Amino acid sequence: MRVDGAAVGGFDEAFDYVVVGSGAAGATAARALASTGRSVCVLEEGPAVDPNAFGDRSWDAFKTMFRDANAQVARGRAFIPGIQGRVLGGSTVINSAIVWRAPDDVLAEWAALGLGDALPARELHRHWDAIEKDLDAAPTPPEVWGGFNRRMHEGALKLGVRAEPTRRFVKDCRATARCLTGCPSGAKRSMLTTYLPQAEAKGALIVTGAEARRIVVKEGRAVAVTGRLAGPGRPAFRAAARRAVVVAASAIQTPQLLARSGVRSPHLGAHFMGHPGTPLTGYFDAPERLWRGATQGYDAVHHRRDGRFKIETIALPPEIVFARLPGAGRRWKEMMALSGQTAIFAVQTRAWAEGTVRERPWGTDIAYDLTRRDMMQIRRGLRFTAELFFAAGAKEVWPGIYGLPERLLPGQEALFEHGPDDPGCYSWILSHLFGTARMATRASAGVVAPDFSVHGVSDLVVADSSLFPTNLGVNPQHTIMAVARHCAERLADRRPR
Amino acid sequence: MNPRRRAVIDALLPPGGPAGLPGAFETGFEEFEAEFRRDAPLSMSLGWLAALWVASWVSPLLIRRLPPLDRLTEEDRPRALEAMGKSRVYLLRQSTLLLKMVTSLGYGAAPTVRRAVGYDAG
Repeated sequence: MRVDGAAVGGFDEAFDYVVVGSGAAGATAARALASTGRSVCVLEEGPAVDPNAFGDRSWDAFKTMFRDANAQVARGRAFIPGIQGRVLGGSTVINSAIVWRAPDDVLAEWAALGLGDALPARELHRHWDAIEKDLDAAPTPPEVWGGFNRRMHEGALKLGVRAEPTRRFVKDCRATARCLTGCPSGAKRSMLTTYLPQAEAKGALIVTGAEARRIVVKEGRAVAVTGRLAGPGRPAFRAAARRAVVVAASAIQTPQLLARSGVRSPHLGAHFMGHPGTPLTGYFDAPERLWRGATQGYDAVHHRRDGRFKIETIALPPEIVFARLPGAGRRWKEMMALSGQTAIFAVQTRAWAEGTVRERPWGTDIAYDLTRRDMMQIRRGLRFTAELFFAAGAKEVWPGIYGLPERLLPGQEALFEHGPDDPGCYSWILSHLFGTARMATRASAGVVAPDFSVHGVSDLVVADSSLFPTNLGVNPQHTIMAVARHCAERLADRRPR
Repeated sequence: MNPRRRAVIDALLPPGGPAGLPGAFETGFEEFEAEFRRDAPLSMSLGWLAALWVASWVSPLLIRRLPPLDRLTEEDRPRALEAMGKSRVYLLRQSTLLLKMVTSLGYGAAPTVRRAVGYDAG
């Protein structure tokens, strides 16, 4: 059953489990818990959007489905936009549904931190197997590569580097390149069209337009979630939890909710990590039809371990492509006219940087600054990206980096390695966010205990990427889902108090 | 939009030019801008107005002309905006990016523009 919080008055009801958040973590946990026959309530701050109503204008998508209309930024030496969904299904509605299991080296790091039993590799692989089957995980087939994905394939072949079609939760992709604004063909297996309806079918109640403001803790135990609905007058609601409250609100929202609810830890909101990315544009002398093909259908993983970066293709609509093109007036329009002959590859780095997320009177405050080591990795990644472009036949590469020429020709790739050290000279996107309520064996080292409960509070469980103890280095949706599934199974096995 | 702000947008995307790309105000940009200011979060809306103000009153100084932008010649206006995008001052470069981002959001979504650059959304 589904309730639109914008259209009802307040409510006060009790459930076995209350799940805060409906993205990859929340939807997975809700489905697993509902499958046990217990009553589940999912609280989602954003609206429910009908998949048949997905348009192709970016602004329409931003204002309806993105947090802060896609204007959320991390501050540091550069302003870095942090992309998050704020819609039923969370970021899975607006991402490219990329499938990566956490690499063995990352799982080994987690085990070395004493979390091998809490996040056991064998169990996670069992969950990954199940999720991949549920959501039709498959490599992007060549018939939907389009020109830009094919270019990376060709460049990698020529350079002899490891690159492969991106595995995605997609079936029968129509190559519309519209993952960012919501898949119009229903091919993407987002939580909106898969696990959430399945949880509903098993009896879960989904409330949209429901902003969780506080978790009520009584005698050391989480007993309810209170908040405000989106309707006129912002009516209050209270969802009592007989067995547990599951927080899956993202690495930005989860620490703020916990802090508002009285959880105290020096690690809460600290250790904020992510994958900052920066794009390069390759210009070809033949039309690339940038906007046709699987949005992100190919990636180069050659330097994932030794360089801590990977390169991804990405297709963007004209209104997003234009903003980064140089020039003003007639010259800007001349660049726009060439945009059909361009492709974009983006460097995504496993950054060393750690920042903080805090709630301030004016809203969310994200402080995040890339380190010198990160900048070295990025510059190396940019050089490698330019090499890929030229190997693929690009005539020019357009860096969009202050301090470098507007257009680079073959043979000038090395300029990237001597590029500016200041993050403010580059354009960034920060995605894949982790660590702000990290799991640790002791309360002195983290927020979440190995049994997924918040240290010092019973029946308050964190199931999202906030608990990741280290940076992942690969697209996290799949690992978030496996961890949430594992968390839900453990929770369901627990005896009620 | 008031005339001073219109002049900034007109300098960024004037009528005429390559590939049949129209000017911003030939694509209904004024309606988009009103919609944007109505629907955007306050910080974004204020950022947009600030970027327009900076473009109008600061960018001319970067090419040694007296502001505001609408007093400059047609040739100097885009030069001033380009200078702002290449400034050593980070906030000026960011203002230019914001200006171009919001303008693109409306302009690049216009059917005539999409047709002109060959965009065939599926």
